[in-house]
Order: sequence, then C-alpha cells, then structure tokens
Amino acid sequence: MARRYDARTTIFSPEGRLYQVEYAMEAISHAGTALGILASDGIVIAAEKKVTSKLLEQTTTSEKIYLLNDNVICGVAGITADANILINYARQAAQQYLFTYDEDIPVEQLVQRLCDLKQGYTQYGGLRPFGVSFIYAGHDSHYGFQLYHSDPSGNYGGWKATCIGANNASAQSLLKQDYKDDITLKEAKELAAKVLSKTMDSTTLSSEKLEFATISLNDENKVVYHLYKPDEIDLLLKEHNLGGQETEQ
Amino acid sequence: MAGSYDRALTVFSPDGHLFQVEYALEAVRKGTCAVGIRGEDCVVLGVEKKSVLKLQDPRTVRKIVTLDDHVCMAFAGLSADARVLVNKARIECQSHRLTVEDPVSVEYITRYIAGIQQKYTQSGGVRPFGISTLIIGFDANDKVPRLYQTDPSGIYSAWKANAIGRSSKTVREFLEKNYKEGLTKEESIKLAVKSLLEVVQTGAKNIEIAVMTSDSVVKNLEIEEVEAIVSEIEKEKEAEAEKKKKPSTSTAQ
Amino acid sequence: METLIGMVGKDFVLTAADTSAARSITVMKSNEDKSRDLNKHIVMLYSGEPGDTVHFAEYIQRNVRFYEIKNGIELTPKAAATFTRKELATSLRSRHPYAVNLLIAGYDVTTLTSQLYWIDYLGSSISVPFAAHGYGAYYTLSLLDRYHRPDLSLDEAKILIKKCIDELKSRFIINLADFKIKVADKDGVREIEI
Repeated sequence: MARRYDARTTIFSPEGRLYQVEYAMEAISHAGTALGILASDGIVIAAEKKVTSKLLEQTTTSEKIYLLNDNVICGVAGITADANILINYARQAAQQYLFTYDEDIPVEQLVQRLCDLKQGYTQYGGLRPFGVSFIYAGHDSHYGFQLYHSDPSGNYGGWKATCIGANNASAQSLLKQDYKDDITLKEAKELAAKVLSKTMDSTTLSSEKLEFATISLNDENKVVYHLYKPDEIDLLLKEHNLGGQETEQ
Repeated sequence: MAGSYDRALTVFSPDGHLFQVEYALEAVRKGTCAVGIRGEDCVVLGVEKKSVLKLQDPRTVRKIVTLDDHVCMAFAGLSADARVLVNKARIECQSHRLTVEDPVSVEYITRYIAGIQQKYTQSGGVRPFGISTLIIGFDANDKVPRLYQTDPSGIYSAWKANAIGRSSKTVREFLEKNYKEGLTKEESIKLAVKSLLEVVQTGAKNIEIAVMTSDSVVKNLEIEEVEAIVSEIEKEKEAEAEKKKKPSTSTAQ
Repeated sequence: METLIGMVGKDFVLTAADTSAARSITVMKSNEDKSRDLNKHIVMLYSGEPGDTVHFAEYIQRNVRFYEIKNGIELTPKAAATFTRKELATSLRSRHPYAVNLLIAGYDVTTLTSQLYWIDYLGSSISVPFAAHGYGAYYTLSLLDRYHRPDLSLDEAKILIKKCIDELKSRFIINLADFKIKVADKDGVREIEI
C-alpha cells in the first residue's frame, strides 16, 4: 500500500502523510546519537561516532560537531553527506547576515534559514528530503544561550536538553529525569557523558567513540567554542568514572 | 483504487477528483484544532496547543502568528509549510504598503495566501501546502471585524465563526448551535474557549487565545486568564447539570 | 540646499532636518518631513534627489518592518545602518543608483546606547558623535566641534541645535524657513519643539 506514495517526496499519502520525510526520520533514528544540554553558563553538545576502526585516522576535525558561525555550533545525526551540504549552506547564510547587518546572526534565524531549505525539499522538485537532524547550540544578545533541534520535515523547536539519533527516546527520558533548570555547564557535561554511557551500544566509553564540544562566554562576553581533543575527552570521562573501566578480555 | 491519478498533481481522476489536494486536507485534519470567532467589535483566534514537553522551550512553539500590524493568522497542518507560507504573506503585506501606501485589507491578504495555495495545486513537481488557515483582522479606517479561512485547494471564504484542523467538524457544529450575532469581547473569548473544550480534554494549559480589538491591538491571553474562563465554563456546566437533575427528582418525589 | 543635522547626547540622539522642498529657485513646500521612522527606536533622515529619497527611505522602512515581524526582534541602529549602507552600495553599482544622503539615529535597546550614523549616496557609512549633510554642514560642523560633548543633556543639546539653526539663518544665503526636530531615546522616536 505504502509503496505507491513513497516514490516521490512531493506526494501526500491518502492519510495526509509524507512517507519520504518519515523514512528520512527513520534513517536518522539509526544514526549515531547526538545530544545537547542547555546550561545557565553555556551549552554542551556530545555525539557518538558510529564508524570506528583501528585504521581510521583520528583527525583533528570532527565528524559530528561543526562550527556554523562564531556564535553557533551544531551536532549532526543522519547522512553525513547531506549534513555537509546543509552546514555549508548555514555557514554561507551566517556570513551573508554578517555582511548585511554587521552583527552575528541570531541563533533562531540561522536555524530557520536551514529549516526553510529543508522544507523546500519536501515540497517542490522531484527530490528527496535531507536525511539529517541537527542540534544547534548558540548564543545571541536577544535570548542568551539557546538550544534548538530540527528534523528533515523542516520543523524546529527550542529545547533545554534534547537528543537525536539512535536510542533518542531513552536518552530523552534520562535527560528529562536528571535535568535541572539551574544546571551549570560543568554538571551538564557530566550529564551528557552519563546519558551517552547509558544509551550507547558499546560497553566502554572512550574518545574514539565520542565527540564533545561546548560553547560559553569568556571575560569579554564573547562566545568561545571548545571542541574537546581526544585526551581531553578521556580526562573528562575519567573525572566522572565513566571511561577507563575497559574490561580486559 | 485511486490508480495513478494521485501521482501527478495536475491531473484529474476520471471522476473529477484532485487526489493530492484531498490528501493534503487529510494532513490538515491531523493538525491541532483552531477556531476563529467574530464578535461585535473584536475577533478572536483560539488554538489547541500541543502539550509543551518539560524540556521544550515554549517560546518557539507558535500557532498564532502576526502577518502585519492589523492581521493575524492561525493554522492547522504541517507547521514547516505554514512557516514558509506565512513569510510569503508577510513580504506581501509590507510590499503592499510600499506600493500603495495602505495596509492590506484582510480580504486582500487572504486572497493572496489562497492564491499561493492554489498555485501549488496546479504546478508541476510540487505538492500542495498541507495547511488550512484562519485569518483575522481589521481593515484600515474600518471597525468591522473580519474572519477568513483558506484551505490547501486555494479556496477562501468569509465566516462569522469557524474551525479548522482536528475534529473541526464537531467544533463547527458546536459553533453553529451556539453562535449569536453581536457578541461582546468577553462573550467571544468565552465561546472560543468553550468550543475548543469540545475537543481539548486537557483544559486551559493546551489552549491559546488571541483577541484583536477594533484598534487592531492584539492581546494574547495569559494562561491564568484562560484558566479562569475554563473554570467559569465548568461551573456553568455543573449548574446546568444540576438544573436538569432537579426537575426529574422533583417529579419522582 | 537641504540640511540635516544630528548629534548623540548622554542617552539620546537629537536630529534636525529643514522642511523646505524646493525645485530650481522655487520653494514648493515649507513643511516637508524629511524623515521616516524605521522602528520604535530608529529614525532615518534623508536628503538628495527628490523622489529617490522618499522611495528609498520607505523601501528601507518596509524591509526593517518585515524583518521585525518575521523574526520577532527589533533591529539595532547598527544593523539598520549596515543594511541601509549595503542597499545603497548595491544601488550605486546598478544602472540607476539612488542619489540619497542619510543620517540614521537610534537608541540601541540591547546595549542601552544611542548611536548616529552618517551615510552618503556612495555607500559610505560611519558612526559619529555628531554629523551634518548638505550646505548646512559648512556652517554647523564648526559649532558642533566647539560645543558638542558626549555627555550632553537633552536641554543642552536643544540649545546647541538652536545655535546651529541660528547660524544658518544668519550666514546661509538660502532661507531655510523651518526645521523639524526629532529625538530618539529609550522611550522611542518623537518630534519635539525647541
């Protein structure tokens, strides 16, 4: 039954659903988890790298967390190739805004620009939708620190803590359980590591499987982006007794 | 059964259906309910708001939006589609002011929105907008409240009171029964809340109300205000139930 | 012949624009408002080719309003000035560039500061403590140089702008009959008498 309506994205099913969009979301729910937690003094984004191999070069650049603008970073779950297109688009949009207004783009506007593009791919052209969800962490003078989530349909929403990718339902309920409104960035980092340690399929957490990044404000009220290096991640895990317990087999 | 007549939008089925448009209406019926009510000198929009999750930021969940200083809109259906359509309408509102130095009339912007929706039922390679809209406002130098509705096919119409989205049929029937001409502001708001309560079981926390008065000032009701109206309605209902009970008991005695 | 003047004070910006609309040697109108409010806190004064000026000012005004309805936040004076400058710079490189000079004055509600931008038809934009456009600049800038202070109170600023206008009345060959004075501060833009 469904077959007839999922060949093209631009088609409603008789129940008024967009199957291609739903399938894209399904694809994302198998991708590596990424989560974001909004704290009073910053935001943390943590992500699980799915593809690991001893032969894989541990590069300095990340594959799940990206800088979009001086004041916005994002975490990705889904088809990385699609994500690259959108990230490039977002970076350009942010620079365009800077050129036009001589100010950093407000976080929600950047999210909205990306979502308008995503929406377009569900409505016109014989194209498929983008197979990626994003978590955005950013800061602007209007609403301070903000955390957003967007999905392939072009919907977005603001969150205090949220999660995309595999096991996102259980991660979300863990976040709901342990989140406090006045959480600090330090506690948020611990919570992020804890949630990932519980939801990830692998038994041991290590820098090989994790990416970690934060944004916060420095003394001059400028946004600083910190992408954790592998040894910094290991240190963080050790601090909270989450890594290092590698069972020797 | 529908054969291939629902694959391409520009094609009628042999019995004269445009299937994609009908399916888009299904998407609307899945959306949260919205009502609009015209009073004597005001017009009210009420929407059913999905529960905001504990970790969600309520600021980013918007169902009633501003098109221009004097025009508001509520929608039911795919919210990403709505956002795109709303921004097209907002540009037209400012563009209209620029070219003719007058704000748009409510009918004009309704016709414009419906026109876009129609275009997406007849162009190649696109699907229709999966939303219906309720548009309220006042025209310049005019005190008559306006309420219009558009749907995915591009039809638009003026109403005294109407509902779109989930269970809109029930709500519309309720409005047909209970609507009176010349409602005051308070009565209009109350009727909006009352009609939404027909389909919203969870009460005030899932209802959002915006009122526009003839000075084109929009007021969004605080949750406490909605709560007060809900409890007032509940009290009335109880009193009515009592009344119904009493005569039966008296005859029994 | 037109004159625009602006100055930043302690927590406000004061602007003045002459109100005469002239063509060739004839004054057509003497109560023309040569300004448009871009939003609650920003006012834009314009001079230049008649027609171009109003058209451009209203185009900017509508764009700023659209931004604010779409995004639910107010543009800062800096953002509005940068946007306007870019539009002028793009226009300059088109077949029919706008011949418009501007002052953008506004109160920034995010940083709680008042700002003044001097913009010309070539797309130059600069943030200044005081500024003037047109022939009037030759007579008033020296006065502003001498008497302007960043911590000027509104009353002091009014006296200073009066000085500038009196100077124009006594030295400038053209009789600029009247000026419209506006102030932008935390309460918004409004017209005042001096």
